Amino acid sequence: MLDDLRYRVRALFHRNELEIDLDEELHFHFDREVQKHIARGMSQEEARRMARMAFGGHEQVKEDCREARGTNFIELTMDDAKYAIRQLIGNPTFSIIMILTLALSIGANSAIFSVINGVLLKRLPYPEADRLVRVFLSSHEFPKFPLNPWDFLDFRARNHSFESIAAFTRGDVQLSGEGEPVKLNGFGITSGYFRVLGLQPELGREFDFQSEIPGNGLQVIISDRLWHSSFGADPGIIGRKITMNMQPFTIIGVMPAGTEHPGNEYHSVAYGESVDVWWPFSFGGNSNQRGSHFIEGIGRLKSGVTAQQARSEMNTIMAQLGREHPDGDAGWSVLVIPLYNEVVGASRQMLLVLLGAVGIVLLIACANAANLLMARASARQREIAVRLAMGAPRLRVVRQLLTESLLLSFLGGALGLLFAFAGVRALVALLPSDFPRANDIHVSWPVLLFTLAVSLATGILFGLVPALQASRTDPKDGLQKSTRGTTAGKHQNRLRSALVMAEVGLASVLLIGAGLMLRTFLNLIHLDPGFKQDHLLTATLSLPNAQYKKGEQIANFYERLMASLTALPGVESAGAGSDLPWTGYDENTGLTIEGRKPAPGEGFHTRYHMATPGYFKAMGIPLLHGRFFTDADKDGSPGVAIINHAMAQKYWPGQDVIGKRMSFHDDPQKDSDWLRIVGVVGDVKDQPNSPGAEPAYWWSENQAPQRDMSVALRTTSDPRQAIDELRQAVRQLDPGLAVADVKLMNELADSSISTPRFTFVLVGLFAGLAIVLAAMGAYGVISYTVGQRSSEFGLRVALGAQRGDLLRMVLAQSAKLAVPGTLIGVILALSLSRVVRGLVYNVSPTDPLVITAVVLLVLFIALLASYMPARRAASIDPMTTLRTE
Amino acid sequence: MTGRIELPQGTVDLLILRTLVTGAQHGWAISERVQQVSSEVLSIQQGSLYPALHRLERRGWIKARWGTSDNNRRAKYYELTRTGHKQLEAETEAWRKLSTAVEQVLEGA
Repeated sequence: MLDDLRYRVRALFHRNELEIDLDEELHFHFDREVQKHIARGMSQEEARRMARMAFGGHEQVKEDCREARGTNFIELTMDDAKYAIRQLIGNPTFSIIMILTLALSIGANSAIFSVINGVLLKRLPYPEADRLVRVFLSSHEFPKFPLNPWDFLDFRARNHSFESIAAFTRGDVQLSGEGEPVKLNGFGITSGYFRVLGLQPELGREFDFQSEIPGNGLQVIISDRLWHSSFGADPGIIGRKITMNMQPFTIIGVMPAGTEHPGNEYHSVAYGESVDVWWPFSFGGNSNQRGSHFIEGIGRLKSGVTAQQARSEMNTIMAQLGREHPDGDAGWSVLVIPLYNEVVGASRQMLLVLLGAVGIVLLIACANAANLLMARASARQREIAVRLAMGAPRLRVVRQLLTESLLLSFLGGALGLLFAFAGVRALVALLPSDFPRANDIHVSWPVLLFTLAVSLATGILFGLVPALQASRTDPKDGLQKSTRGTTAGKHQNRLRSALVMAEVGLASVLLIGAGLMLRTFLNLIHLDPGFKQDHLLTATLSLPNAQYKKGEQIANFYERLMASLTALPGVESAGAGSDLPWTGYDENTGLTIEGRKPAPGEGFHTRYHMATPGYFKAMGIPLLHGRFFTDADKDGSPGVAIINHAMAQKYWPGQDVIGKRMSFHDDPQKDSDWLRIVGVVGDVKDQPNSPGAEPAYWWSENQAPQRDMSVALRTTSDPRQAIDELRQAVRQLDPGLAVADVKLMNELADSSISTPRFTFVLVGLFAGLAIVLAAMGAYGVISYTVGQRSSEFGLRVALGAQRGDLLRMVLAQSAKLAVPGTLIGVILALSLSRVVRGLVYNVSPTDPLVITAVVLLVLFIALLASYMPARRAASIDPMTTLRTE
Repeated sequence: MTGRIELPQGTVDLLILRTLVTGAQHGWAISERVQQVSSEVLSIQQGSLYPALHRLERRGWIKARWGTSDNNRRAKYYELTRTGHKQLEAETEAWRKLSTAVEQVLEGA
């Protein structure tokens, strides 16, 4: 066998050499023949003629030799395949069931693998992306926090770990003068940001260090998309001035298509081609004030430096800074996290769980296929016995049977690939909109290879045992006896029962998983977020610096806008706030509380927001104590604040907080340094699945005007009808303003639970497929044994057994498979509970309700699967069955 | 020449294997030897000899090496392998059975 292979491989790779050898060999023969004739007295010429005649066609001989060299294996395989195809066509029901179940499970695997390949396996689209890391600060209170600009400059100057390091911060811009004003996702970046990523502008250049100096910032780099959509891909765009935020910016660079934003935490924009504008971040102000944190670090490690080494160096630097600036820099440490982990880390566990789930489906499908094959092998026992008796070696029979199962699995794989194409499209549509790298998910070459490998492995896995089993058929037994009641049959029954038990067990695991995901999903849906999502239209506005220089201009704009919005028919209430729930807003501040001192080395911190008087009502956030803001809470009148329940609990537990005072001054002196608490509102959960809310308070927008605001409109009917009116109202006040991010709040809320929904839908689908397969397996085995035992049943009926007894007997046999199977499943699920802990919400991975429900469901389905065969057993006519024996 | 018989493939294989029992031979010598031993009745045409040699080599029943012939030319020599010996035994056995059976049938009829 090995010689054969070696010969054929040699024949394949040393073709030329062999051809030359063959030529020489044939010439040698020819010459000897000629010599022979000459020795017998012929002339040279006649001898050659004779030899040529005897030789026949020289080329023909060579052709025959080539053929003899190695087509045999292929011929044999073709024979086997032809035979296998005849078998499959001769048994269409069997073939269709096999191919369909395999296609579904292989296809599901390929689809999930496409996601894994695109999201987890494919490298990030930056050169040597494994050297890219994100840099954050961390403190007791804020475990993962942005950097302070001055700290960043010190990091950049002092570190030895990074080839280059850069910082970036969200700052959207409004582009006008090129048609309708639009708001674009923008980032302020330090010089060298793109160098860190390893990207080059396709036109122009990157920002240099000069641009970081205040006053030099009116430059911009734009995306390829913006270049095409707003500037007609003008090749002479570099140097052109455009109006952003009502100021003239000079375009100095265009980034190529495929420039992916590496994702960010603070005012986050999703990973991907999600950014259109980059402007130079400038370092201004007092370098000793290090309390405000709003830029994010990204760095490229020197080759050979690990993230861990970089982290310890950065922490040394941070400790120095803490000594130099004890006010702002003490108490922080540095996190250095590989970019890959930042981008896909959160999805990783979910994807691996899905891969596990779909792998289980494939295992069940294999068990099922093996089961069906064994059932059929016993029907084919006679055929196999004949072949063995005719002298076919066992290996040949095994090979033939394996060819059949491989044919099935490859047909299943091919069809499965079609399913995968459709499935991947559905998966991507179902994915959460902010899912990282969703654009990288395709059925690609690695997926094809994966499918091929899975098909091959599947075919061997489910085909080998039945093939070996069948080849052990004793020709004598197989020919003499009918297929019933042989000893091999008993062994096979045990094996098949074990397979069904395994199927039931694995299916139970998936069902338990699906049950947990379902409960998680329901918990999230029924969660009280702390505000009312329905009938709520939201949008964002940002007032350009150039036009709205003074706070009172801003306050005035929003006051007038709210007045005109509230007057709209169909609008119940209107408000504006610095942010909307669940959009990644996270602004924090230290504060002083009248009459309380923080523990040494710690301070009071809280999240802050701004709101107009109508904001809480429009959002549906309930007032617990005191009052909302009014128009009277404006600049010049006493400072007021509204706090949430969590803040009241944290800083004034058990007290009446109305009238208490707090301040942002470290050392408040005057009355105007203080804010008086006038109201307490209910908590809005930070994220839909957060256990609670961060302590937070609201400024009155009139007293702390903010240019970028989110508008919330509560309507009496469909909020979509208010969209035009909102745009109209804004245009009346300022035609140059872009109304951006127009969304329904329930869409926003919906997208925040789309990850759990995705998991639940998929695990549910896989569990459904699994239980159907397991039911098929149980049905197959039970109905086969009923067939085997029909004469026994006939005898029992003849001896006076009641039909009900037979029914019970068969159902009991089914229970004997299902009960241990379910038990195995429950034990497996319990031992796997750790795996899903991070994916469930408000339900224990060992939830007894889910487990009980699954056990009952599986037992019910097992009985259902055996009910038909049981009925058949019960209706056996003793006369016919006994006569056939 | 008229007395010669066209040989089926399996028989060619058998004759080649048998001829090689006495030692390594090149292709021409094999065909000469068969013809000689069978008193000029059996002749393996080159057209079937060389494909058969290659087939047998691939199956591992014979192996080939280059050597020098008696007239000092490079020639490809074939010799039996261990499996080739076994195969020869098996095929000889089968041939004997077949020919005896055919003989009996012919006698009986």
